[in-house]
Amino acid sequence: MSAQHLSVLLVEDNALNRDMLSRRLDRAGFAVVLAEDGAQALEKMRDAKPDVVLLDMNLPIKDGWTVASEAKADAAIAAIPIIALTAHAMEADRQKALSAGCDDYATKPIDFPGLVAKIQGILPS
Amino acid sequence: MNRFTAGLSLRARLYLFSGAILTLFAVNVSTHLWGSLARTESLVAYRDTVNAAQLTDDLQQSLEAARQQILVLSTLRETTEEPLDTSERDSALSELQDIDAKVRRLGTIGNEGTEDYYLRLKESTTLLLAVWQNFYRQYNDTDTALDVDSAVNFNDALQRLGELDQRQQFLAIQRSNAIDRTIALTDRITVIGFITTIAVTLVLVVILIRATNASLQRLKTGAQRFGSGDLTYRIKESLEAGEIRDLARTFNDMSGKLQTAIDDVQSAKADADAANDAKSMFLANVSHELRTPLNAIIGYSEMLQDEIGDPGEVDRAQFRHDLGTIIFSGRQLLSLINDILDLSKIETGKMQVGLEWFQPAALIFQVCDALSPLVNQYNNRFELVIDNDSMGEMNSDPSKLQQIVTNLFSNACKFTENGVITVAASMDDEWLTVSVTDTGIGMTADQQSRVFQAFVQAESSTGAKYGGTGLGLAIVKEFCTMLGGTIDLQSQPGVGSRFSVQLPVDPESTLANA
Repeated sequence: MSAQHLSVLLVEDNALNRDMLSRRLDRAGFAVVLAEDGAQALEKMRDAKPDVVLLDMNLPIKDGWTVASEAKADAAIAAIPIIALTAHAMEADRQKALSAGCDDYATKPIDFPGLVAKIQGILPS
Repeated sequence: MNRFTAGLSLRARLYLFSGAILTLFAVNVSTHLWGSLARTESLVAYRDTVNAAQLTDDLQQSLEAARQQILVLSTLRETTEEPLDTSERDSALSELQDIDAKVRRLGTIGNEGTEDYYLRLKESTTLLLAVWQNFYRQYNDTDTALDVDSAVNFNDALQRLGELDQRQQFLAIQRSNAIDRTIALTDRITVIGFITTIAVTLVLVVILIRATNASLQRLKTGAQRFGSGDLTYRIKESLEAGEIRDLARTFNDMSGKLQTAIDDVQSAKADADAANDAKSMFLANVSHELRTPLNAIIGYSEMLQDEIGDPGEVDRAQFRHDLGTIIFSGRQLLSLINDILDLSKIETGKMQVGLEWFQPAALIFQVCDALSPLVNQYNNRFELVIDNDSMGEMNSDPSKLQQIVTNLFSNACKFTENGVITVAASMDDEWLTVSVTDTGIGMTADQQSRVFQAFVQAESSTGAKYGGTGLGLAIVKEFCTMLGGTIDLQSQPGVGSRFSVQLPVDPESTLANA
């Protein structure tokens, strides 16, 4: 996997999942930035300008849908692709995430190789 | 007229109109009978007139013949002196009587208008006939000079006969004119009556049809409105009467009942839809809740699998921690599945309550003791306050009480850091009271109102931060209800929460006393 120069912002409020996913992304060669809630997520998007955002939807302070729509409304960070991560597995949930502004969608439990492929697929080559 | 008939029932209207038509018909028939009577009377009068004229003619001829005979006999008597034999005399007298009878008969034909004339004729002929009878009786008595010169009397009688005849003719003409007028009048009345009857019948029929048609039209409008689904529409009963009003009322009642039935069906459908939605929501929530611990289990397992393949030494402490995480998540998954099964049993009515006598104090102590590791997890202090003097045996389901206390106690531990968790129990004759109090994060009024619903935690993110299925309190509340008790919640954000459960010591006797 040629992910050495890519930075990923992982927004996840559950400590176990945050720890697990960040370590796996790190092992896969991504530079990982962490955020625990929606407000932090927007802040880190503006400061760190990550290449891609992995966004849990059930977040404290600001939920994932709000974060996605606010990010897409902000010209400075609108171009950053967002992949929604959620345990809501229904088709309606997928549509809800996409219409909020997310570029792609992955269901928990995460299929890690599939997620890496999604990250690479979503980036301009 | 419409307004006049509007208050009448259809039957009354039909009777009324039939009565009116029959009355007109009777008037018509009686006028016609009157006309017929007049015609009959006219015929009788005509016959009388003809009879009278014939009789008058006949009488005049008889008078003239009798006078002629007397004149001839008188001349013979003076010249021949031949006597008159008895048979000739009797014959002549009989003819005179015949004349008298004819005069009398003429009298019977007459009436008030001719009576005076008749009496004068009678007077004159009586005189004349007396003279003539005298002539025949004394004819053979040659000494007597007979008065035959009765021309005055004779002419007088003829003249009076003519007068009577004229009078009778005059009266006959008068009467015939009157009868003609009556006939013309009755004919006119008959024709007018006939035309009037037809006209009135037509008018009545039109009114009847229009009045009835208007009523039926209103019924039809109502039926169409009902048919098109407008069941709030009402036919105006006040405009109708009798059977039509009954029909309108029946229609309105039917519409009301239909509306009620439709409302019932719709509300049943809404209930069914809501139940279906709740089921779908339940499945979506179950799916969501199962995926969260599975994500950690699969994620950590795959990661450990990757790490074990790495060259070099494995970080044993890290490895142990990650395995612990997998076990923790697995147990969470198990308790989640158990909770879901419990809730499903409760919702389908298959959760059984097994009553038995036991010591609640001992049970509560055991639960708290078993869960004591949870107290230390966030550096909390635990106090158990059991009022041993009041605590006796109770008749309830110990496994349910155990789960109630377990859920409340682990909740309190989960949401409290560096605080105090107090479990208190006491009992009186009727109720066991168990309360679990913490000094944790607490809840707003809005959160308190939702916290007993399945899959709801005070915040949607609470589960992620604090774990838990969002089913524990729903199950506690259901169990309290099943055991005949209640649960009460007092809470304040940042201060803490207090869940207080009251269960009957003996549901059978308590319910009997209630």
